[in-house]
Amino acid sequence: MIKHVILIAMLLAIYAVFTVSLQDLEQIYQTSADYFREFGVDQTGSNNLVTAILLDYRLFDSLFEAGILLIAVSGIIWISKHDIEEKNARFMLDKFKTPDLFVTFSRLVYPLMLAFGFYIIINGHVSPGGGFQGGAIVATAILILYYIDADKETNIGMIVTVEKFLYLTILIIASLSIFTRGTFFTNVFPYETSSTSTQVIYLVTLNILIGFKVALGLWAIFTAFLKEGR
Amino acid sequence: MDPMLTFLVILIGMYGLSTSKNIIKSVFSVTIIESGVILLFLNLGNWQGGSIPIINGAADLIADPLPQALMITTIVIGSTVTALALMLCIKVFHHYGTVEWREILRRGEGK
Amino acid sequence: MHFIPVYLIFVPVLAALFIYVFKSRHMNWLALAAQAVLTVLLVLYYREFSGQYENTLIVFGGWNDRIGISLVNDEISMSFMFLTVFSWWMVLIYTFEQGKTNHNFLFFLMFLEGVFLALLQTNDLFNMFVFIELLSILVAVLIAFKKTGDAFRAGLYYLVISKAAMMMFLLSIILVYNSFGTINILLVREAMQSTDSLTVVRLSYVLFMVAVMVKSAFVPLYSWLPRAHGVAESGISALLSGLVVKGGLYLFIRLNQMYEYANLNYADFFYWIGALTAVVGVMFALSQKDMKQILAYHTISQIGIVMMGLSKLHDPDMFIGGFLHIFNHALFKSLLFLGAGVIISAYRTKKVTDIRGVMRTMPFVSVFMIIGMLSITGAPFFNGFISKSIIKYGIVDSGIRYWILFVVNIGTATSFIKMSQIFFGPKTMTIRIRKPLKNFALMSLAFACVMLGNFYIPISEGFFGFRVQYIDIGTWANFFDYFLALTIGYVFYRFVIAPDPVPVRYIREHKMTFQQANYLFVVMIVVLLTVFVWW
Repeated sequence: MIKHVILIAMLLAIYAVFTVSLQDLEQIYQTSADYFREFGVDQTGSNNLVTAILLDYRLFDSLFEAGILLIAVSGIIWISKHDIEEKNARFMLDKFKTPDLFVTFSRLVYPLMLAFGFYIIINGHVSPGGGFQGGAIVATAILILYYIDADKETNIGMIVTVEKFLYLTILIIASLSIFTRGTFFTNVFPYETSSTSTQVIYLVTLNILIGFKVALGLWAIFTAFLKEGR
Repeated sequence: MDPMLTFLVILIGMYGLSTSKNIIKSVFSVTIIESGVILLFLNLGNWQGGSIPIINGAADLIADPLPQALMITTIVIGSTVTALALMLCIKVFHHYGTVEWREILRRGEGK
Repeated sequence: MHFIPVYLIFVPVLAALFIYVFKSRHMNWLALAAQAVLTVLLVLYYREFSGQYENTLIVFGGWNDRIGISLVNDEISMSFMFLTVFSWWMVLIYTFEQGKTNHNFLFFLMFLEGVFLALLQTNDLFNMFVFIELLSILVAVLIAFKKTGDAFRAGLYYLVISKAAMMMFLLSIILVYNSFGTINILLVREAMQSTDSLTVVRLSYVLFMVAVMVKSAFVPLYSWLPRAHGVAESGISALLSGLVVKGGLYLFIRLNQMYEYANLNYADFFYWIGALTAVVGVMFALSQKDMKQILAYHTISQIGIVMMGLSKLHDPDMFIGGFLHIFNHALFKSLLFLGAGVIISAYRTKKVTDIRGVMRTMPFVSVFMIIGMLSITGAPFFNGFISKSIIKYGIVDSGIRYWILFVVNIGTATSFIKMSQIFFGPKTMTIRIRKPLKNFALMSLAFACVMLGNFYIPISEGFFGFRVQYIDIGTWANFFDYFLALTIGYVFYRFVIAPDPVPVRYIREHKMTFQQANYLFVVMIVVLLTVFVWW
């Protein structure tokens, strides 16, 4: 009990320091919003500044963000492979039947979700969204498939291999700018000479690739978890 | 939401982390801390108010897009770490038959 | 030429991807080929830029450096990169025979190399965060790679605790970004000059340091390290203990450079944290009987010694001592872990008390192990001696600090006297496995230890750019000190540790629970706040 009281007191102390520092922060508060508002659209060709940052200004981050997903997928699949020593492993079959109403609605919703996901991916540069967000939606749509058909078998090795190839393609497309602009990880088409509509080609391509990569990665993770449950 | 309020979310997560005896709860506590941090960053990015950072025509005041982009990265990282941690939880459960930290850590090496 | 840092990051990453995709036996050679390319690139880069590191800045996309991500190098990151490539050579050679069947393993290993090289070079706080998280995931997977219950437990423990620490890191990035409008480390460093005493800057410093303390396993936040390094495969343990833990210390150096103008007087505080870490690490190591646990706890204590040196960032001599000790520790701890791996796989037990007669059974391995032990205990003519002496000279005048280092030396000597009992005894029949490559890796590491111990003057001047002429190996005082430590250590072992009294057993049985570890995490935040904000 006394430990809990001390813990709460310590947390309150941290809170007090944060309160004081927030007042300091108010005086020296700075953001870089002005830079992006002024130059963002011209330099990257993307109306959505978040996409502009993800796919151009900080593309290096996004590459490794996709890399984290890649590593996690391979790691989860490696860990989830069964070995004999697991004494407590109980392989429970899914006894609960999915309700018919749910299955019917899933059938209705599935194409809509898929279409919505693709919309988010393709329009990442003009409206809220992008590869990562759209990829997550597409993956959720694929997850719904498992409600419709619980015994669906997926070739997990195939998904993972395709994902690795997609990641390679993303890396290649991201570094193409070394030939056109003499620097890595930016738009292939230099903003000084090409129009916005040309630049958009690059953004859409990269968004679609990232979207597919994320969707496949999350799908592989779901499959690994589902296999664990069966 | 106020930054002060979002900081409370972080503290709740820290409280949960130092008191929960269950692995799943620990993983969730870390996720709560993460949500608090993400909310705080988004809040501070839009402290002075402003419209969404999508430029169609002339906009005079927009929310800072950089935190939003960074937080997408954080969310992706967070979800993958959580997935990996939960998979490890399942495996730990299969090996030890429990998800209580105390029980698991008490077992000696090599059992 | 200018873009070599980018190639350094992506050569191992691409090699990893190809190894994973084409699951062929011959892809193992690809890892070695990538490693060779990496070495050539690194040497070229060093020849091009050594001495003029201000030209190494790369901003991706050619954007304004307040916005874009940049890479930059200096002497410190350069020497860390050489150490990284060298360590990976050793571990790849050591695990080459196992790797023939295990593509997954090589995939994670090579990806880890790319990520670690990227972490060393980045000049952007958020980018740093991404790389550390990637590193945590990779390390957790590699710890759990053996797929035993212990391994899963250790991997999970490490993953959750490091994730909590990294959230503090991220929180700190938020405060820095909104205070200075950028997360470029060099620019933030310059901007610090005008805002020295603000609470928000101090709070961000505290949160950064808490994250660093977890990642580099300082007392009291060390509890993940012995679990993780004790259960992983020997090659992985060597890599984690030798190099990846040093990632935390590298962050410590980088972040303190960033806060250089913020007028935070941290030297004394971190000196005492280092001393405490060294003492506690040795104390736990003395009580253990598991060979890998002993080595893992010694990693903690050696990190403490490094910290004692590094905390004096503005006192060049002490800093050099700590910095050199990072390298020496990487060499001898890799050597010890790899050697222990060979012995453990032959005897099929980790208990020091059960292994006998290694000297007769495996003479080569024993010689290399003894070189490693002499190095870690700081014998003259071996590399551990050099860096420990530099640190010792820095504190020789201030009584108690000197004695703490001496006590740690005695503890280290005691625990390796305990470990050296495995060499004696009659020859035992063990499984005969011929492993020429493993012996080659051990030999290279032992050779490096001896070289650094004898030719330290040209090496440290040509490579790190500092002069250590004032260290003299041959004096009688050094030998006297060393043998005094050994004698006290032997007596201490004979009469206190060997009978296994109750306190020793108590320390061995003591295992920190997860809640306690996190409780201490919160306590540490409050302690740091008291020191850096209210004081």
